[in-house]
Amino acid sequence: MTHEHPALSLHGLAKRFDTKIAVAGVDLDVPTGSFYGLLGPNGAGKTTTLSMAVGLLRPDAGQARVLGYDVWGDPVHAKSLLGVMPDGVRLFDRLSGAELLAYHGLLRGMDPAVVDQRAAELLDVLALTDAGRTLVVDYSAGMKKKIGLACALLHGPRLLVLDEPFEAVDPVSAALIRDILHRYVVGGGTVVFSSHVMEVVERLCSHVAILAEGRIKRVGTLDEVRGARSLEEVFVEVVGGRTATGQELSWLSR
Amino acid sequence: MAVPVTAPERPARRVSARHFVRLKLRVLGNNFRGQGWRIALFIVGVVIGLWAATGGFFALAAPGLADEPRYALMVAAFGGGLLVLGWLLLPLVFFGVDETLDPARFALLPLSRRTLVTGLYAAALVSVPVLATLIAVAGLVVTAGALGGWAAALVAAVGAVAGLLLCVASARAVTSAFATMLRSRRVRDLAAVLLASLAALLGPLQIVVVAAVSRADWDRLTGVARVVGWTPFGAPWTAGIDVAEGRAWAAVLKLLITVLAIGALLYWWSRSLESAMVGAANAGPARNQRGTVGTAVAQLFPRAVGWARRDRFGALVARECRYWWRDARRRANLITIAVVGIFVPVMVNLGGARFAAGAGAEAGFSVTGESSPVLVSLSMIFVGVLATVTLANQFGFDGNAYAANVVAGVPGRLELRARMTAFSIYVVPLLGVVAIVVATVLGHPGWLGAMAGALLAAYGTGLAINGFVSVLGGYALPETSNPFAMNTGAGVAKSLFTLVSMIASAVAAVPILVAAALLGEVWLWLALPVGLAYGLGAALLGAYLAGDALDRRQPELLAVVTPRR
Repeated sequence: MTHEHPALSLHGLAKRFDTKIAVAGVDLDVPTGSFYGLLGPNGAGKTTTLSMAVGLLRPDAGQARVLGYDVWGDPVHAKSLLGVMPDGVRLFDRLSGAELLAYHGLLRGMDPAVVDQRAAELLDVLALTDAGRTLVVDYSAGMKKKIGLACALLHGPRLLVLDEPFEAVDPVSAALIRDILHRYVVGGGTVVFSSHVMEVVERLCSHVAILAEGRIKRVGTLDEVRGARSLEEVFVEVVGGRTATGQELSWLSR
Repeated sequence: MAVPVTAPERPARRVSARHFVRLKLRVLGNNFRGQGWRIALFIVGVVIGLWAATGGFFALAAPGLADEPRYALMVAAFGGGLLVLGWLLLPLVFFGVDETLDPARFALLPLSRRTLVTGLYAAALVSVPVLATLIAVAGLVVTAGALGGWAAALVAAVGAVAGLLLCVASARAVTSAFATMLRSRRVRDLAAVLLASLAALLGPLQIVVVAAVSRADWDRLTGVARVVGWTPFGAPWTAGIDVAEGRAWAAVLKLLITVLAIGALLYWWSRSLESAMVGAANAGPARNQRGTVGTAVAQLFPRAVGWARRDRFGALVARECRYWWRDARRRANLITIAVVGIFVPVMVNLGGARFAAGAGAEAGFSVTGESSPVLVSLSMIFVGVLATVTLANQFGFDGNAYAANVVAGVPGRLELRARMTAFSIYVVPLLGVVAIVVATVLGHPGWLGAMAGALLAAYGTGLAINGFVSVLGGYALPETSNPFAMNTGAGVAKSLFTLVSMIASAVAAVPILVAAALLGEVWLWLALPVGLAYGLGAALLGAYLAGDALDRRQPELLAVVTPRR
């Protein structure tokens, strides 16, 4: 029955911090099986929106539904279908990679034997087996992203929400992450991720939404949004960047 | 409008300590912006500081005000020495140091080590405890002035300021050095043991001192005070007394000793500062431990948790257990519990009895008869409550890593029960050792049951109360590698939450004390089972009720324990 519902549906989500309005009413429908890119400049409200969508931050107004289950009204069902990799959030990083995966697996109520088998497989595929018993706190940035992704994937969620999965990741790891996400979508999963790297979004996504100043400015399939132009042109136009005149910062050149 | 690119740059302006002080004041001010409760907490802190300062002032000024010159040296040497000792040890064991200006933030700036140390030192002087200490030691100036006139007062004032500088320098140097040691993987366990034994030494030392005080006559004490006066602990404070007693040369030497001590401490601090600056950027070499043993789940569970089912509860307990050992901040707290657990009951039951007995009592160590099951139970309740105060900000230890539990939708009751269990795996054996050691030291093995019962009851109620406090009053800890660092203003918040939770836990444990007082001999047998049941019941009830509150405010809790960046 969940197939009748969009994988993720946000309705009127809004959040204000003190006097600053971070998100001013976001409506978004993420179709099941789509690869959805949430684009936006720094400070646009991407992280705030995704945090409210997955139950990490209580919205001032609005609703978030995962495959029809209300994230704030029925968190148990919604969260069991959801895999999340937040950005700028520490993992329980004084565990080793394997320990962290075991923790996440058991926390999701999985069978220990299944946890062991999947954890070994994930560590192997993500090339983290070599790290052995090194604590996650000592991992490199790319390795941390990979183990974070593994934690989000471990319980086989139907919807994967990733905040900046390609930030601070080297090209090799990025390619690996892309490959795994692609296979996940082909296998029937849905991915929503935020980014401000146009190339990645253009290459991967079937759908795109551009978020700026807490509002959705453009939304649709990739082709609908970019039309005949490049995604970067559309993005800069929507966000309203400035172009350099060549006069300022002249002291930078010697 | 463009400046010619080849124009010679003006030499960079010198950075002085003034900039650091202004930076600290600005950071403090910005912290208050729009945060009414922070201002309120700050004012409470100031009031408490002033209250303590006034008490200290009159204590130190008493010999001068009462015109009792023969006590002057003793009060200055012992009072001042305790002050230095307090500044040296309290940040390490209880309060932490204010890291408003985290040294790691200056790592990239082109500052010489000398500039940095003097700057951070000057900034460290801008704080409420420093102001309170300054007011208190002004009492010494009054004493010296009353006994020796203006010259003595002037020297005492110089000495007091120098002594204050010594206090701050020692606090900074010692915490920084220990932080460096705790960070380093090689010596951190050594550092923990060292810290524990250092603080544990206070216990026996205190017994010896108390025994000496009640045994020795005033002449002998004056002799000790004279010796202390020539160490850095007493030198700055007694210089004024020396002038009043006509030994100006001694005053000069003592000030010299103080200055040398400050210099040495600052040098020591500057050495460890460098590693603190680099340490945050690269927290030690990534040791690649190969050779995996067992499967992922088998690795997660330490041997002590081997009994647990491999389910959600087991995973939470196992992870908490790992964290109590692997997180330097948590481990520092465990060490504190061990130290205080032994120190306080011994002090209350031996020292307290001795003080109560007064100077008239005969000398010797045969004081065991003066303690009682009630007094012992009281001190055990204190230890049990104190142990659980560590959990008052248990979610703050995790920071935003707690998001993993929120995303997984861990039920609040399960979460709290697991945290209590994991903490108890460390602390209950520790408390058992405390009960046995104290019973042995007191020479009353028969009281063991009563003591263990009171301990467990207080521990259980403490777990329950602190479950609530941690859910409702969590706050963020700074993300530095210094386990002693506190956020600005968090010191007062920490003290207040600690105080509230301690009072509440102690009140909840009062029935046990009443039973100990009323039931007499029977209680010695009943205490253990009753205390165990009482404590267990309280803890479970606490987890049940506080877990409900946690379910309702999981995201809010996550927000308040997330460090601001």
